[in-house]
Amino acid sequence: MTLAQIEKITGRYVTLDIAGQSQRIYFEEAGSGIPLLCLHTAGADNRQWQHILNDDEITDRYRVIAFDMPWHGKSSPPEGWEIEEYLLTTEVYIETVLAIKSALGLVSPVLAGCSMGGRIALQIAVDYSADFAGFVAIEASDFQPAWYDIDWFHRPDAHGGEMGAALVSANIAPQSPNQHRWLTQWMFMQSGPGVFRGDLSFYTKDESLVGRVSLIDTKQAPIHFLVGDYDLTCTPENARNTADKIKGSTLTVMEGIGHFPMSENPALFRSYFLDALARMG
Amino acid sequence: MNVPDVLNRIQIRLNETPHLLRLGRMFSTSVLLEAGPDSYILTFEKGVLEDIRINSATKMPWSFALRTDENALFEFWQPIPKPGFHDIFGLAKMGRAQIEGDIILLVRNLRFFKETLALGRGTL
Repeated sequence: MTLAQIEKITGRYVTLDIAGQSQRIYFEEAGSGIPLLCLHTAGADNRQWQHILNDDEITDRYRVIAFDMPWHGKSSPPEGWEIEEYLLTTEVYIETVLAIKSALGLVSPVLAGCSMGGRIALQIAVDYSADFAGFVAIEASDFQPAWYDIDWFHRPDAHGGEMGAALVSANIAPQSPNQHRWLTQWMFMQSGPGVFRGDLSFYTKDESLVGRVSLIDTKQAPIHFLVGDYDLTCTPENARNTADKIKGSTLTVMEGIGHFPMSENPALFRSYFLDALARMG
Repeated sequence: MNVPDVLNRIQIRLNETPHLLRLGRMFSTSVLLEAGPDSYILTFEKGVLEDIRINSATKMPWSFALRTDENALFEFWQPIPKPGFHDIFGLAKMGRAQIEGDIILLVRNLRFFKETLALGRGTL
């Protein structure tokens, strides 16, 4: 008989007013110490961070928190969603992250975000770096235009989640363990209708960071980039180009991993992530 | 191995892969695979690769095409392909392939088609 293994992660809900809408947001946390706020990618949810939340070496020193963005995972869409076209914006995304930080009483947290989460971490670093201990920008750059059509993922004649998963598999390294590769894709398959498209609208159309990224002051809070060599969406070259615009930032190319490092290959990612955390203030 | 050998390998392996046959059960169409000067029409019927026809693109209709070169295909078929060569959209993004035609049909069957094409991976 297998012994039951109850994880240390706890999940709760918080309702916040964001951009004039009441949003019921689900968050998970584990550990104690320095707050570490983690942001998921487009079209997925906080399960991408489950291995970090379950990593004793990290939770011994950090209070790790990962929330589902509104419309994602176990967070609800807002009242009236049935007639709303979900389109994420930079402004609402920043407001959401800052509202969570405030509501959970996170003082000087480290902000770690992947893909669109990394993009918004950089946006936040421009204006709010004094309020954070540091930023880990994973698979992140100041702008990435689409190499696909975002409307593929929200059509009445097809399952957007299955198509989205099949597309993002292009961003997963062939070496990544099958179990984790498929659980990573499962999140995309479960994504609500139009949500991945709405995230990608922000990610592939909003260029507002391009002219601002060089304003980031790493003396206030360090920034470390992590980028996988199998990432087609944000290549090492893309991340390097952005890092080069931020004086004092650092970057590590992760070999044998793609766009979803924390969920597609947790065992490989953790050493890179531990190194990134050691660089934070 | 040459490209026809690998395509024959894919045909045999697909017949031995029940989950792909299930995923492809609504995929009945012809696909053009261009590998440099040679082209191959792959005809699928309910997920089964029924026919592989060489250099017949001017005589047979196809729904979508993957136009690439032989070297790129052999990189794609390596057991562990190099970054960018690991996916047909990687080939396209690197400028080593073009995807044309009824792309919505491809996207609706993307998992099936990508996994089927990847059945060619192994010792070449």
